[in-house]
Amino acid sequence: MPSPETEPALALAGVSHSYRSRGGTVAALGPLDLEIAAGEFVTVVGPSGCGKSTLLRLVAGFAAPSSGSITASGTPVTGPDPARGYVFQQHRLFPWLTVAGNVGFGLRGLPKAERKARVTELLELTGLGDVGRARPYELSGGMQQRAAIARALAPGPALLLMDEPFAALDAFTRERMQEEVRELWRRAGTTVVFITHSVDEAVYLGTRVLALSGRPGRVVFDRASGLPYEEQPRGGQSFAALREELTEVVRLAASAA
Amino acid sequence: MSTITAPSENTTGEQAPARSGAPSLWRSLALRAGAVVALVAIWQAVAMARVWPPVFVPEPAAVWEQFLRTTGEGVSGYTLQEHLLVSLRRILLGCLYGVTGGVVLGLLIGMVPTLRALLGPLVTFVRTLPPLAYLSLLVIWFGIDEEPKIWLLLLAALPPVAVATADAVRGVHEDYLNAARSLGARGHELPLRVVLPSALPEIVTGVRVAVGVAYTTVVAAETVNGVPGIGGMVRDAQRYNQTDVVVLGILVIGLSGLLIDFLLQTLDRRLVPWRGRT
Repeated sequence: MPSPETEPALALAGVSHSYRSRGGTVAALGPLDLEIAAGEFVTVVGPSGCGKSTLLRLVAGFAAPSSGSITASGTPVTGPDPARGYVFQQHRLFPWLTVAGNVGFGLRGLPKAERKARVTELLELTGLGDVGRARPYELSGGMQQRAAIARALAPGPALLLMDEPFAALDAFTRERMQEEVRELWRRAGTTVVFITHSVDEAVYLGTRVLALSGRPGRVVFDRASGLPYEEQPRGGQSFAALREELTEVVRLAASAA
Repeated sequence: MSTITAPSENTTGEQAPARSGAPSLWRSLALRAGAVVALVAIWQAVAMARVWPPVFVPEPAAVWEQFLRTTGEGVSGYTLQEHLLVSLRRILLGCLYGVTGGVVLGLLIGMVPTLRALLGPLVTFVRTLPPLAYLSLLVIWFGIDEEPKIWLLLLAALPPVAVATADAVRGVHEDYLNAARSLGARGHELPLRVVLPSALPEIVTGVRVAVGVAYTTVVAAETVNGVPGIGGMVRDAQRYNQTDVVVLGILVIGLSGLLIDFLLQTLDRRLVPWRGRT
């Protein structure tokens, strides 16, 4: 058996997904072949309805693909697993728990003291040190999404899946959150798959930028990028160039759909 | 919004209603007291006009006298407090069993499709029956002591809770379940860790409805051998045309019902602080 080190963090082979509706079977996604290496920050853009969220839900194991196979670090994906953390577009924090309770949800196996220490550490890491005892609805939108990220990171996932996590935030908060996620990723080194409909966000965050076509979504653009390693990615010439190019790709994909 | 500003916003948000809250609290209390005074005044006027004889419309003073008499020497062999306590005990027990059964049944109906098909219609059937319809059956089965009364209240309280729970359980957002499972929760842990707490707002509402139904049912339950009991007391008074005792009984039932609903509302705020805020 090959060691997890040499296995890609995520591999999709011939994955496609369709669903039944009144008009018959609708092909939503694929077929897709994709390999993501450990440590990559992959951003995925595409026109609305191209199946980017479907893709992420399949990877998470929330649903099974109609055909094809998905493996994460060599293990077939058969259902949700703490090895793959998920951040939803709406934070989906459990309203009956405090913020700390939410972050600690995935740490049930740990002894109490250890769990408490880990929760404190994650709250500090996401800048929520002093609101652990608050309820999710008492936080601002940005803080809610930070808490959702902390909750997803708690079990120490090898892969972090983020489904348009900042779509509901105002522009200012959004930019701050992008910076923080980039910082988190640089420190923790977790592999990230990040869905967005913002070309700017995709270029800013992705060490690899993917674009999907209109329905059924297929990969029409796949580019490695060094921008997230730079101190001020938005300032440079290459940021503008990649953004320009990607905008054009997404526009074409949208009009073809 | 940043980490620093958000909490301070919260504290100011909490203080603001408290400051303006004090006078409006007094005003609402004054309004309520005024409404009660006006009602009693109309009642007094109608009684004094003698449109109907006192056996139909007793004066407020007569009811008050009965209140003093029944709390002192008692009526039908027990004091008013004893009647009320026995009724409340029946309601409490009936609701306790009914709510427990309703939550369990609702969870099962909501989560297991086969059970939904089997038990769903039965629960709806029982819910549409007026409690008096099956009281006779319960008396035949369980006699005329406490048992049939508790069973009647149980059967009255169970369906609203079961239906509310089942609906809430089916309506649990799938992403809560997805989130829990991707955080390592196992399938058998989901009912207690996710489904039940996320259904809690609807369950608590169902409990309030159930307690209300049990309250209206207790008088019916006590028509058969209901002394001691507030319903039995009213029934006895009716037999002897003691209209003032009947009115007193009605007032006591209504007021204690108000008090209990207030307690349940307080419980609701404690248990479901996130209601309407997610």
